[in-house]
Amino acid sequence: METKNKLLEVKDLSIHYFTDEGVVRAVNNIDFELARGETMGLVGETGAGKTTTARGIMGLVPNPPGRVVSGEILFEGKDLLNASKLQMRLHRGKDFSMIFQDPMTSLNPILTVGDQIAEVIRLHEKLSHKDANRKAAEILEMVGIPAERMSEYPHQFSGGMKQRVVIAIALACSPKLIIADEPTTALDVTIQAQVLELMRDLQEKLGTAMLLITHDLGVVADTCNKVAIMYAGQIVEMGSLENVYDNTKHPYTKGLFGSLPSLSIKSKRLVPIDGLMPDPVDLPSGCPFHPRCPDCMESCKSRMPVKTEVSPGHYVRCLRCE
Amino acid sequence: MKKKGTEQGHIKKRSQFQETWKRLSKNRLAMVGLAILAILVITAIFADLIAPYPYDEQDYMATLQSPSWEHLMGTDEYGRDIFSRVVYGSRTSLYVGFISLMGGALIGCIFGAIAGFFGGKTDNIIMRTCDVLHGIPQIVLAIAIASTIGPGITSALIAVAVSSVPNFARVVRAATMTVRDQEYVEASQSLGGNNTHIIVRHIFPNILAPIIVQATLGIGKSILLCASLSFLGLGVQPPMPEWGSMLSNARTFMRDYSYMVISPGIAIMLTVLALNLFGDGLRDALDPKLKK
Repeated sequence: METKNKLLEVKDLSIHYFTDEGVVRAVNNIDFELARGETMGLVGETGAGKTTTARGIMGLVPNPPGRVVSGEILFEGKDLLNASKLQMRLHRGKDFSMIFQDPMTSLNPILTVGDQIAEVIRLHEKLSHKDANRKAAEILEMVGIPAERMSEYPHQFSGGMKQRVVIAIALACSPKLIIADEPTTALDVTIQAQVLELMRDLQEKLGTAMLLITHDLGVVADTCNKVAIMYAGQIVEMGSLENVYDNTKHPYTKGLFGSLPSLSIKSKRLVPIDGLMPDPVDLPSGCPFHPRCPDCMESCKSRMPVKTEVSPGHYVRCLRCE
Repeated sequence: MKKKGTEQGHIKKRSQFQETWKRLSKNRLAMVGLAILAILVITAIFADLIAPYPYDEQDYMATLQSPSWEHLMGTDEYGRDIFSRVVYGSRTSLYVGFISLMGGALIGCIFGAIAGFFGGKTDNIIMRTCDVLHGIPQIVLAIAIASTIGPGITSALIAVAVSSVPNFARVVRAATMTVRDQEYVEASQSLGGNNTHIIVRHIFPNILAPIIVQATLGIGKSILLCASLSFLGLGVQPPMPEWGSMLSNARTFMRDYSYMVISPGIAIMLTVLALNLFGDGLRDALDPKLKK
């Protein structure tokens, strides 16, 4: 990948929450990069640090108690962690924006949807009320909602429609990067498919890069070019879809695939991964996955695996692959 | 499942204001309060037309007269028509009540929103200051302020406004804190909204209901406080008619000429009662938990 094509580079990022109970190591030394127009899926269990990673990029880690303890986030080559508050604010919404999980709560209930879209436009572009409204109407049409509904309030829309509005708001200033934090979790399956299709279409049309956070490997297979699997704040496996799906290396990823129901193979029970996610305050020594790992070796308990490139662009953090 | 967008959509299209009004109009007591308020406001505006005599016209031939057709509420010790003075007094009372409340509400809202939104040290400093203000009885605080600046309508305004600040700050802070953590506030942050923008555009409109209620209930208190200040001689100065100062003047004649205290007293009572009835009704109407 050429340097100028890189949109976002995250290097060695660690984000910890300093609470009274101890230090919660939510994100530990993760690296990844995203090219313009590319879509990367970030998959992991609840509490794996996906949302914290997203907030880290947005510069919205709640502080206190959260703090970025190490690492660099480069957006178009500029370090976001050293950017001033004002610069970050100008970036947000214009260069990168976020789609939230729950469209029911991420819209202000007492402003019309048109107002909420126009608001973002007016925050970043010097437009008159009228022009901003006109642009908001265009964007609303783009996500498949008739412009006449601009003057309606969020409660007058269905869940899927609201998520379309949220997407419209995120796309209002044609950002270069969209971070979608489980955008389809709150929606039912048919609407999920519609929303994903809409996001894919718009992404192609606008050339936006996307970081898609989800638990759903099916959604990733459907929309992403790249995928990163997170476990206990680390990226345990990362690579192109083919690499990760067809040539799975990490036992955790294998476990995730194993726990999915399959239409072709008949089985009475699914195969879950034994055990629970470790407590991020007290991560196990060595590889954080070793207590649950079916292929655990003696050395796994003491030594942290390093990132290993098993084939070009396919990285795994596992001692068995080193 | 309800069908959305078609018929249902149109029925649902009523705005929050209409929705509230509908619920409010079902509350009889609140409507009585509103009616009294309306009469009061009209009286205040058209005082010149309603009052049969100028408020400061003295008639030494007719002092201390009992109510009659000529003087509906009698006359005071200078022969001034009490009815006219009560009518003109509504102007002063409403004016002082509204203006001081607006001032108090404005300052209180700003401080409360700042305290609630930022939390931490800022919150502590602002709220502890409010606690101190709250700890001093309102009337004592008002007396202190009025006697520092000197008696007069301005000092009464300032005194009443300052003493209502902590109430507003508290209500607004609590409401802000519940709204601050809503996802749409975070969403606005993620879209580049700055703090002022978020407070004004997203938080304030969402906490308007408790502010409105606090304001309606507060006007009654403000009017009462202002009347007390005037009663003590620190508020509105004669010959300007004010219900509190009228009570104060009439106090000496209370035993023999009780009508002199009754009329301004009833005026104060009615106003405060009306505001409280209306405020209570408004609170119920704006409370989504009581929606039927």
